[in-house]
Amino acid sequence: MKELDEARRGERSRLRAELMEALQKGDPDACATLFDDIGPSLTYFLRRRVADAHELEDVYQEVFMALFEARHTYEPGRPFEPWLFAIARNIAVDYSRRRWSRARWEELVAEPPEQLTEAFNRGAPELETLLAKLPSDQHEAFAMLKLDGLSIETASVKAGVSAGALKVRAHRAYKALKRLLGE
Amino acid sequence: MSSSAQMIHDEHHRALVRRLAAELKPTRSMWPVSIRLALWMALEIGILMWVMTGSGRNVIGRLKEPAYAMEALFFGFAAVILAALALRSAIPGRFLSTLEATIAGLLVLAGTLLITASVPMDTARSVAEFVRVGLQCALRIGLYSALPLAALWWMIVRGASMQGGLSGLLAGGSAVFFAMTILRLECPNNEPLHILIWHLLPALPLAMLSALAGSRWLKFRLSRIRPRPDAANDRTQPII
Repeated sequence: MKELDEARRGERSRLRAELMEALQKGDPDACATLFDDIGPSLTYFLRRRVADAHELEDVYQEVFMALFEARHTYEPGRPFEPWLFAIARNIAVDYSRRRWSRARWEELVAEPPEQLTEAFNRGAPELETLLAKLPSDQHEAFAMLKLDGLSIETASVKAGVSAGALKVRAHRAYKALKRLLGE
Repeated sequence: MSSSAQMIHDEHHRALVRRLAAELKPTRSMWPVSIRLALWMALEIGILMWVMTGSGRNVIGRLKEPAYAMEALFFGFAAVILAALALRSAIPGRFLSTLEATIAGLLVLAGTLLITASVPMDTARSVAEFVRVGLQCALRIGLYSALPLAALWWMIVRGASMQGGLSGLLAGGSAVFFAMTILRLECPNNEPLHILIWHLLPALPLAMLSALAGSRWLKFRLSRIRPRPDAANDRTQPII
C-alpha cells in the first residue's frame, strides 16, 4: 500500500514536472492543468500558515502570481514540488511579516489621543458615510488598499485593472475624501 | 471550509488561472548553475591573467612555496564554492548544502591560519609606511571584487532568490575571497599583519555590505502582472 502511494506520488510529480516544462514553453492548457492540480495542495500548505480565510485567499493568489513570474527559474528535469513549495513558503513568510508589522502599527495607533482633534470635536462624519459618496471604483480602490490592507498588485488583479490605474483611482479617492472632510 | 466558501474559493481559483493562462508567454528557463558558474570562473580567470600579466611578478616561482600556494588555493576554492552556493540560492527549492558551506568556511579558516604562519612581521617599517602600503591593498580588494560581485549579482537577480540577504552574503563572500586570492598573488608583501589587516579585514565589511544590499535588492518580489485589455470583463466573475 505504502509502495503504491509512493509510486502514485512519483508519477504525479513527474507529470507536474512535464506540465511545468510545457508551461515554460507557453502552453496555456498545461498552465491551467498544472495550476488546477496544485491548487488543493497549495491550499492545504497555506492553511497551516495563514489562519484568516480572507487573507488565505490573498496569499493563495499571490503564490500563483509568484509561480507565474518565477517560472523561468524552474529547472527542467528537476522535481517540481521543492520549487513550488519554496516559493509558497516565501510568500507565506512575507505575508506573516507584513501582518506582524501591520499589527504593530495598529497597536501603536490604537492608543486614543489625549486631546480630541478639532475635526473630531466638530463631529467629523463617519468614514463609511464619506466613502459612500465616492464613485464605486474609487471606493473600491480605497477600501482594498487602506481598509483591507492589500498590496497594489493583489488589489489591481482583484479590480481587473493595471496597478497604475488602481493607484490613480486611490489617489482620486484620497483627494475626494480630503475635500469631503474639509466641507 | 464550508461548501459555499469552497465554491467561492473555486470560482476565484478558476478566474485567476484563466487570467494567468491568457497572459502566458513562452519563457526560456535559466541556464544550469554549472554553466553559469563556469562562465563566472572564466571571468575570474580572465581577471587573474590580466592582473598577473600587468604585475610582472614571478607568480609561478612563488607558488613553489607550499604554504603560499595552499593559502592562495584555499581562498580561491572558497570563492568558487561560495559562488556556486550564491547561484544556487537564486533558484527556489535548491537548498544550500551545509557541507559545502562548512567546507568553504574551513578553507577560509585554514587560509587565515596559513597567513599567520608565514614570515614574521618586519618591525623596522614605520607605521606610516605600513598604512600607506596597506591602504593601496585595501583599495585593490574593492577593485578586484567589483566585477566578480557585479557578475554574480546580475546572475542572481535574473533568478528568484528567496533569501536576498543570504544570496548577497554568499556573492559578496565569493567576490572578496577571489579578490584576496588575486591580491595575494600580486602583492609582494608577505607579512602576516599586513595581509590580515589590509587584505582580510577590508574583505569582511564588503561581504557584509553585499549581504545588506542583497536583503534589499536581491530578494524575489512580485512585480505587476500586466492585465489583459479585456481584463475588466472578468469582473463579472469575482476575482478573489
